[in-house]
Amino acid sequence: MHSYVRPNQFVAFKLPSDQTRIQKIVPNTQVFLGKYGTFPANQIIGRPFYLTFDIHETPGEPDSTHLRIVSAAELHAEHLIAEGEGDGDDQEPVDEAATMRTNRDTIDDRSTQKLTIEEIEALKRESTGAGKEIIAKLLESHSAIDQKTAFSLAKYKLRKERKYMKRFTVIPLDVSLLTNYMLQDKEAARTLEMRDEALGLLGCWGNVHHGGSTSFDMETVLANPNGRYLVVDDTGGLVVAAMAERMGILYPHDGDFDEEQQDAHSKVPATTGAHGEQDDEAQPTEGATSRRNRRPQMSAQGNTITLLHANKQPNISLLKYFGYEADDPSESHPLYTNFKTVSFMQLLDPNADSIYAQEPTEIPPQELSTYKSSKRSAYHRKRGRWMRVRRVVDEARAGGFDGLVIATLMDPSSVLKHTIPLLAGSAPVAVYSPNIEPLTEVMDLYSTARKTAFINRRRELVEQRAASEDPIDVKSELEQEFPLDPTLLLAPTLETSRVRVWQVLPGRSHPMMSSRGGADGFIFHGMKVIPTQEHIEAAGNPSRKKRKVVRADETPASSVDGVDVEMTA
Amino acid sequence: MGSPFLTPGTHSQLNQLALLHLRRDQAIPTVLQLHDDDNAGYKEGKVTTTRFGSFPHTTLTGQQWGSQIIASKVDTGSRRGRGPQKKNRQLKRKADELDSSAATTPAAEAGSGSQSSPQAAVAAASGFLHLVYPTPELWTMSLPHRTQVVYTPDYSYILHRLRARPGSSIIEAGAGSGSFTHAAVRAVFNGYPTTTTTTLTTDEGADATAATLPKKRRLGQVSSFEFHEQRVGKVRQELREHGLEGLVHVTHRDVYQDGFLVGDPQTGTSPKANAVFLDLPAPWLALKHLVRHPASGAESPLDPTSPVYLCTFSPCLEQVQRTVSVLRQLSWLDISMVEVNNHRIDVKREKVGLEYEKVRGAVVFPKSVDEAVSKMRHVEEHSRKYRELQQQQQDEEDSTPLPASLDAVLGKEEQKPVVSESETPAPTTAALADPSSQTSSVPLYAQGRLVHRTEDNLKTHTSYLVFAVLPREWTEEDEQKCREKWPPHRVDQPMQTEKPKGRKQLKREQLQREEAEEQQQQQQQQKHEDAGEESGKIREEA
Repeated sequence: MHSYVRPNQFVAFKLPSDQTRIQKIVPNTQVFLGKYGTFPANQIIGRPFYLTFDIHETPGEPDSTHLRIVSAAELHAEHLIAEGEGDGDDQEPVDEAATMRTNRDTIDDRSTQKLTIEEIEALKRESTGAGKEIIAKLLESHSAIDQKTAFSLAKYKLRKERKYMKRFTVIPLDVSLLTNYMLQDKEAARTLEMRDEALGLLGCWGNVHHGGSTSFDMETVLANPNGRYLVVDDTGGLVVAAMAERMGILYPHDGDFDEEQQDAHSKVPATTGAHGEQDDEAQPTEGATSRRNRRPQMSAQGNTITLLHANKQPNISLLKYFGYEADDPSESHPLYTNFKTVSFMQLLDPNADSIYAQEPTEIPPQELSTYKSSKRSAYHRKRGRWMRVRRVVDEARAGGFDGLVIATLMDPSSVLKHTIPLLAGSAPVAVYSPNIEPLTEVMDLYSTARKTAFINRRRELVEQRAASEDPIDVKSELEQEFPLDPTLLLAPTLETSRVRVWQVLPGRSHPMMSSRGGADGFIFHGMKVIPTQEHIEAAGNPSRKKRKVVRADETPASSVDGVDVEMTA
Repeated sequence: MGSPFLTPGTHSQLNQLALLHLRRDQAIPTVLQLHDDDNAGYKEGKVTTTRFGSFPHTTLTGQQWGSQIIASKVDTGSRRGRGPQKKNRQLKRKADELDSSAATTPAAEAGSGSQSSPQAAVAAASGFLHLVYPTPELWTMSLPHRTQVVYTPDYSYILHRLRARPGSSIIEAGAGSGSFTHAAVRAVFNGYPTTTTTTLTTDEGADATAATLPKKRRLGQVSSFEFHEQRVGKVRQELREHGLEGLVHVTHRDVYQDGFLVGDPQTGTSPKANAVFLDLPAPWLALKHLVRHPASGAESPLDPTSPVYLCTFSPCLEQVQRTVSVLRQLSWLDISMVEVNNHRIDVKREKVGLEYEKVRGAVVFPKSVDEAVSKMRHVEEHSRKYRELQQQQQDEEDSTPLPASLDAVLGKEEQKPVVSESETPAPTTAALADPSSQTSSVPLYAQGRLVHRTEDNLKTHTSYLVFAVLPREWTEEDEQKCREKWPPHRVDQPMQTEKPKGRKQLKREQLQREEAEEQQQQQQQQKHEDAGEESGKIREEA
């Protein structure tokens, strides 16, 4: 839960220009927000999120910077006034013509603003009130201000505020914010132009949720590991982060609810609780982990994410915003134990991987004790890494995963070929692609016609094998014609979501005039099933379908599954 | 035992909800039981009948989830215990089957309790379905509708924006059909409560979990409010059947009037919500209860230590305007309104070409200008030959002037095409097709062009979603405390922290930092002495 700004945490600043800036809040440092100002980080640490601050300072005077919380009433002031006028008395027929200003007489040039650039710059230097005086002056010295309609005046003021207000809002850095930040303020291609709506759908269709048992007690978990998810993520870790957020293992303070509960009960422990936490984080890792009995990296059994990656190292750089550095992960972070990485080569041909295949020779303890400490720790590190890779790879190869989420640059069918067999029965599959073509191809690979052909061909081959005594490898024969086994996935579906943002103002509600184009984002989903190897005729008479009463709230079946009654299995 | 929605395990179990998946948008929810109190008289015990055959629950229980299950031969005719309306009901059942909405057939042991063990089922010659565990998505698709349902595209986005995460507490008003409820439980779930009055949700495993927990964690919960009494009953019953009872508190309540406290409206316990979802006709009437200090003097239903995220779900713009206006008055921030446009996409192979004669779903039409021209050539050729033949016959007739009746001439003319076709090779359209594609050995499923389009039934509008955030309360007192802890003007020397460092370097830097701090303090002392002096403002970029 993001209840206050913690030291050494990444937070986002929403600026008057609607841009977002992400910064780590280190105690006793300055925070720079470009032309919107500078202030000491200590002035926002410990404060709640979503507050808007004005930066006030007296020029030439050091340490005069101070932040003022802008109240909600002030932020909404204009709308509230406008609404008050609109709602209070709807019948205001007083001089309709006189009050209804139009843009008939406005002059469309820049001569109306009498303030020169030099004067504005001077104002900026002297200004103390977070830019408010500048805007007031600008409005004052606008010669045609009384000709503006209410709407255009509001727009003018807004434009000037965006330019001159020294104001910002502190927002917790979570997956939704990071998604929008990457999409709008950064390079969208790095996250495959992932949008909020697509992430939400991926999580739901992938049935990603907390596995139920905590990672702290091993016994109950071992008996029945729950919530093991497989993911292929080429968005720099954004999908992994979204999954981890849904599973409650993304934030370093996930699971520390007791402290916040204390906050709830009384105000005094709130500060002491926060104090203790602050000390913890000021001296990271060592102290925190020795108290817990050092659990090895990637050792959790349930509620885990296993990332399959194409290169030697996974690209999960975005996880750094959540306190997880890929190069040097902090042992106290929940992902340290619950996030596992396996390369596709380790998955498909583990013995080709040097770390997996070459066991560091075990050295008896007596001999080890004679080593120098640096050599000893090197031995332990190598040995530990080998054991970790062994365990994680073997575990991944054994399969039984509870869900599969894919957002990849690779051909999705090549990924599905190797990952679907690793799923438990009924486990969901969800694939994201910025473009539709890779997914229509996947849909085609699971088409009913292909499925029927696959089943018939398999039956033929099995019969041939039985008749000829010749060892026919049914599997490889089938793989030649069918790259994917179409019988392993139920209800393949392709969909897309797009959110449309509206402006809601009294008398001025409409969808936004423009928004970001680019990739729409498509989601393919289905369910892993376990087909019976027996020969089954499907029941049901296709002609009966015509008598089916379609309820109004039901979408009728599509052509893809509409013919499934003819299928044989 | 847990809920099959959250922790389904690997196999289906008795007394748990399972879904019988028939087709993409059709699954039958059923609680697996060997016997039932309703006396349906099947020898096999409880049986669910679908349009793809009958499935005794003995064949569904203890199966691996996702298994394909073969239908069984079930004697539906000679059942006992159905009384005089037997024939009638059978007819009705048949109609049900045709309607394909195949409801769960109430079933039970045949006759008295002595035949308690159900007969082994015999596999039928045809028919199958897939046995899958329930998810909120499948449940949304198959649940019994009582009200308008919040579908997956909407609730997936809403829950994402509401930051509903494991351990959160979420308020839902308008439980309705329970679709959002199930999705919300999944989002906030992080463990079953250990002290519940029901026998369903506790077992030794869960107790052990609680005992070994090193920290007291807050468990995620949903507080659901509904003012329609019958719906409350239904939702409660469903949640019990689904093993979600301890995670959702359903309250029968008019929230406009009585607010959101669990239990008594005035003195009840606060759900300490982090997120609120209002699916009400007039959400603005409920907002007065969702404040930090309710005017009624009751406890706030919101979590005092966290920001609260709100979403309202209204189909009309007028509702949105009133809601937004009230939200502004009540100091909610970051107010935004969106609508979610979702559509499913059909993918198929479009087959256009002359070679697709007699192929279902294909269009027999030239696929290219070349094919069109070559077809025209064939037709021209054909008619030229025909005319020649006709001419020939005409000549023959002319040369042998026999008295012919009108009928005979007509008859001959009708026959002529037939004759000519038997003479010239029959030019079927398929034969006229582009030879390259005609001779190809591409299997039927891979022929044609891969196309995609929006599905036929399009939901163009569900509802408008209004989102808003209410920050934590922050008093002057809090601010003062924070200032004491974090000196507001303290800025240290910048550190060149660019790359992650080794342990040794960290230690070295720690020392350096301590030194720097001392220096800083000295500097500050100096500053106090000489106030007008330029302070060492040092830039530091993270």
